[in-house]
Amino acid sequence: MKIPISHKATKRNQRLFFLVMIVLFVPCLFYLNLSATQFAEGIARIPDIAKQFLQISLDDLPKLLTELLTSVIIAFLSVVISVIVALLLSFVIADTTAPNRHVAKVLRVIVVVIRTIPTTIWVLLAVASMGFGSMAGVLGLLFPTTSFLIKSFTAQIDEAGKDSVEAIRALGGTWWHVVCNGAIPTLYTTFLALIAFNFEMTVAETVILGMVGAGGIGVLLQEYISYYEFAPLLMGILVVFITLFLLEMMTNQIRKRLNSQAR
Amino acid sequence: MTILLEIKGLTKKYNAGTVALDGIDLQVKSKEFIAVIGPSGAGKSTLLRCINRLVEPTSGSIDFLGQRVEKANSRDLRHVRSQIGMIFQHYNLVSRLSVLENVLHGRLGYMSSIAGVFNRYSEEDKKKAIALLHKVGLENEVYKRADELSGGQKQRVGVCRALAQQPQLILADEPIASLDPKSSAVVMDAIHRNCTEQGIACLVNLHQVEVAKQYASRIIGIKNGKMVFDGPPEALTDYHAALIYEGKESQMYQQQVAEEQPNPTGRKYA
Ligand SMILES: Nc1ncnc2c1ncn2[C@@H]1O[C@H](COP(=O)(O)OP(=O)(O)OP(=O)(O)O)[C@@H](O)[C@H]1O
Ligand SMILES: [Mg+2]
Repeated sequence: MKIPISHKATKRNQRLFFLVMIVLFVPCLFYLNLSATQFAEGIARIPDIAKQFLQISLDDLPKLLTELLTSVIIAFLSVVISVIVALLLSFVIADTTAPNRHVAKVLRVIVVVIRTIPTTIWVLLAVASMGFGSMAGVLGLLFPTTSFLIKSFTAQIDEAGKDSVEAIRALGGTWWHVVCNGAIPTLYTTFLALIAFNFEMTVAETVILGMVGAGGIGVLLQEYISYYEFAPLLMGILVVFITLFLLEMMTNQIRKRLNSQAR
Repeated sequence: MTILLEIKGLTKKYNAGTVALDGIDLQVKSKEFIAVIGPSGAGKSTLLRCINRLVEPTSGSIDFLGQRVEKANSRDLRHVRSQIGMIFQHYNLVSRLSVLENVLHGRLGYMSSIAGVFNRYSEEDKKKAIALLHKVGLENEVYKRADELSGGQKQRVGVCRALAQQPQLILADEPIASLDPKSSAVVMDAIHRNCTEQGIACLVNLHQVEVAKQYASRIIGIKNGKMVFDGPPEALTDYHAALIYEGKESQMYQQQVAEEQPNPTGRKYA
């Protein structure tokens, strides 16, 4: 008989896991009515669509670019406002710097609730109350962006900011000294990197959210899709792709420079 | 000599249930240089942190220059803290600020929020801070960023920051535990010389009995949250030391171990 080598309980768990997956997969397949014929037809249409796609037209480029600019501006504005709000609240919420534990607790719960509601829902809510357009975009993005920043900021304050906070507190500094002279200089680069990352994410989000009425280039893309105008659609997708690619490169560069500065 | 600090029946229970301090009574007179020794987990750090209430005491009284620290409101507590300098094992400098700015932080306890946040230190304070840096041999590092310094240099900045407070008392929590023997000597000399010259009392946690004997005017031994020795360094015999470290003898030689393993906790100090 061969000598067994594995941890028995772990192996049993793994087997059980895969079994459950397979058992669940089959009813799920039937539930959604996925049909093979529909799939085949779709595949057959691909060359046709590809042909339409390939007729890139530059006609809509100016329009696309202005809308893209709107998207980026929406993202920028919501990030700037979010950063201000998050900076103020993070130090009130973080364990290390919280002036009042009960206030911190209440705020933390609020942030969690905001985070569990998806961004799309926030934007839809904003659209419902403000009407279509950029205003709804900025307002809708504000909530998820701020809560994301608060969560990342507080984690950093409690982790990297502890020592300097303790030092300033020990020498009799006020809460403002602790935050502005101790924590913020310590966390400055980390915060900048987080903000850059968040901006990149938010731009990508505005593109998608434009499709639900938040203004920007997403609105155009949505129009093209609903009228089957594949040529300008491809142009639009390209524009978005290039922008996001450049943005990613830029934020990476920023992060690298910050890291080398902080060593 | 006047009584600077009077601790009575100080007890600290942490949330987890550990009794870190169990009825400590301690009087500190002005100009005393007291070394606190004891094995790891004895409660040395907790004792120092209760004095300036970085850790909230569970019970007991702490009297600093006639002010009841454990009852002080936040304004009075700030006032007490501004008169007590603290030196940390991990230096606790603000690494992205200049050495001079770090030393000037020692003045924050005497400044309003606005003046501090906008760095309105007086020229007088700046002159004194630079003089302090000269005194500990950091005249060429004044405008360097704090994270460009070596461990020993960082700790000397920490010492200057505490001195800049012009305190009555300095609390030093294992100021040399992360340093090699040579830097340790420089740092201990800086603390001891300045405290003696300026008549500052000092409570310093140490792992090494020899260092404690070399500098202290009085030694306190703590074990399991209780004070088990209190006397002049001459009175601390090998017998006493062994008693304090009983069952934890290896820790008496902490420094040697630290030399072989400069980075035992995985944190970078250099
Ligand atoms: N924040 C905390 N929460 C819970 N328990 C703690 C906390 N800090 C310290 N303790 C416990 O209190 C006891 C005393 O700790 P303290 O840090 O004062 O010891 P120490 O004498 O400074 O030890 P070392 O020489 O290792 O620094 C230990 O048992 C420790 O586990
Ligand atoms: Mg300790």
